Amino acid sequence: MIALAVALPLLAAFLLPLTGPLRRIVGPATLLLVAATAFSAWPRAQVEPFTVAIGGFRPPLGILFYVDGVALLFVLAVAFSCLLLWPWNEAAGSRKHALTLLLAAGCSGLALSGDLFNIYVFYELVAVASYGLAAGAGSGRAYAAAFRYLVLSSLGSLLALVGIALVYHRTGTLNLAHLGELAPTLLNDPLGLAAFLLLLLGLGVKAELFPVNAWVPEVYAGAERRVSALLAGLVSKLAVLVLVRLLVLVFPTDEARTALLLLGTLGILSGELAAYRARDLARLLSWSSIGQLGIVFVAFAVPGEAGLVAGLAVALHHLVAKPALFLLAERWGGSLESLTGAGRRSPLAGALFVLFALSLIGVPPLPGFWAKFLVLSGLAAQEGGLWWAAAAVILATTVVEASYLFRVVGRLYARDADGATAPHATGPLTGAAVLGLVLILGGASAGPLGDALGHMAAQAADRAAYLGRVLPVRTIERPGTLTLNAAPEARP
Amino acid sequence: MPTARVTTLGPLLFAAGFAFLLAVLVAGLPFGAPPMTVGEAIQGDAAGTVGAANFVTAVVLAYRGIDTLGELSILFAAAMAAGLVLGRPGERRAGAAPAGFILRAGADLLFPLLLVVGLYIILHGHLTPGGGFQGGVILAAAFVVPVLADPGRPPEHRRLAWVEGLAGAAFIATGLAALAWDHQFLAPLLGRGTLGSLVSAGTLPLLYLAVGLKVGAELTGLLVRMTEADGEAPR
Repeated sequence: MIALAVALPLLAAFLLPLTGPLRRIVGPATLLLVAATAFSAWPRAQVEPFTVAIGGFRPPLGILFYVDGVALLFVLAVAFSCLLLWPWNEAAGSRKHALTLLLAAGCSGLALSGDLFNIYVFYELVAVASYGLAAGAGSGRAYAAAFRYLVLSSLGSLLALVGIALVYHRTGTLNLAHLGELAPTLLNDPLGLAAFLLLLLGLGVKAELFPVNAWVPEVYAGAERRVSALLAGLVSKLAVLVLVRLLVLVFPTDEARTALLLLGTLGILSGELAAYRARDLARLLSWSSIGQLGIVFVAFAVPGEAGLVAGLAVALHHLVAKPALFLLAERWGGSLESLTGAGRRSPLAGALFVLFALSLIGVPPLPGFWAKFLVLSGLAAQEGGLWWAAAAVILATTVVEASYLFRVVGRLYARDADGATAPHATGPLTGAAVLGLVLILGGASAGPLGDALGHMAAQAADRAAYLGRVLPVRTIERPGTLTLNAAPEARP
Repeated sequence: MPTARVTTLGPLLFAAGFAFLLAVLVAGLPFGAPPMTVGEAIQGDAAGTVGAANFVTAVVLAYRGIDTLGELSILFAAAMAAGLVLGRPGERRAGAAPAGFILRAGADLLFPLLLVVGLYIILHGHLTPGGGFQGGVILAAAFVVPVLADPGRPPEHRRLAWVEGLAGAAFIATGLAALAWDHQFLAPLLGRGTLGSLVSAGTLPLLYLAVGLKVGAELTGLLVRMTEADGEAPR
């Protein structure tokens, strides 16, 4: 049934131009169905993760979806993020509706798939849909930014594809669990590390990883804020999730973790420092997003369950906070100077901005504090200079982050010197307010939330259990050959 | 200018370095003797389980059917994105010169031939090399050639949209039917039939027909849209 989370948005997107008077509700209704599918699988996956063989072919011959707590959590995040950031104000049946549905289908697929090439296909689907959405603002600036994004993202896809080709040529399989089984003998060498680095750089384009994130500020500043929120909040997290699955299952080596740690630390440094120099709110938020994803990478580099809990916490916090900030920035375009006094004119928007800024910096008792706390305690438990350096960088850039965010807050509440500031748009605040409520509730229930995250992280970190669930009956006689010792199940 | 030199040298250095890296990596691969881990297992399994004489089709539509659905969606997303950028269907180029008699007669003659070849390749996809993607492109050619020969002909966006939508939906509906039949999503239905005969491999030929129609409609729509955008440019 969980395959519906991918199939239904695709079906709705294909049929959207033909649905006549139902056009307006087809998309949101489909997203609600996706959420319902994820909810229905939730209790079972909490007890024990399970697999769904697409087409009924036993792995590793066919493609399978691996359904565990983390995957379902992200499918829910996909459904609700797309609902919240749905292009309500576009004409019914607009292409943007179809592209958003395609994006949702691709993201659900990324969360669920347990096959390396299938992941690549869904990654491409997300990529192509996001090119269209990024260019959808229709301005020359958006076109230029989207083109730059397209070129860089295509380069990334090429690198990822080369990585997949190397892995396949070495092992002859694409199933993640099967790869995990063969990895210690076949991928534990420079070639395996090179394949991981190629995949890291390729998938890192969407995840805003340090050297391949040059498209981020231009696209986020040029696209509609709704789209920036979707890309920064949702799409980047799904790319990170895929990298984490690869790290846990296929490349659980120290070298791979070190690479992630280094690139993450550089991302934090470059993102936060650039955000400090930013002149308008959208760019500031884009650079800060790069910095936050750097923290996510550093967290996931920490081995074991501790790293997964911390990484999930930071990723989920950013998934809530950054879209809200982008939605608020929709009202406040232009340079930072023009924000003077905007918070006095719309008190609710100002208050929400302060709330999210405080959480982003990590002020207790907001969820952002607990997320950063988990990362730092995870880093502190590790031996070695690099881990300590990363912790020091996170602490130091928190000060930078506080400085530039407080500068914006100060502007928002400054008295107009001449009263001649441009009037700002006064759209509805529903989206940002809902996310603010989620944030406050998350902070209030930090204890149970932490327990739930810990349970999911324990599931996701259990490499042996994943391998055993996907491939219960098989014998590997020698590396590189596969013997199926069970007769194929009878097909009626 | 030093900056200009840096911007042209940078990519060159990167490309050279990347090529060198790839050469080193490829040198370490077991060339000529690739590990056929899953490939071999599928070769042994495909004829009995799926019943498609063309094993490539068995992989594309059965073992990895959801990949094909994903690729169809990517093509659809690209067409949508291109439509968003190219804008609304514009006016046909008013001043376009009408094609001569030979071009129009040639196009009219080509149309049925291309149609038959395209459909043949689609419907024999489970038996011989070819299939929905290749046949779909030939179908698209069949519909684009008349447009190119006679630019004044009004485009049929609505009909194309219907074919496109229904063909894509048919692919997913076949998958959902399998799900409802107490199978897994996209499992082949309707029995295997005799290996090598036209009616074999269960729902695979139907899936390829859906793929072919969708690819054909999509490419036709995209090319027609581009000829229109071309006409708008001088304004």
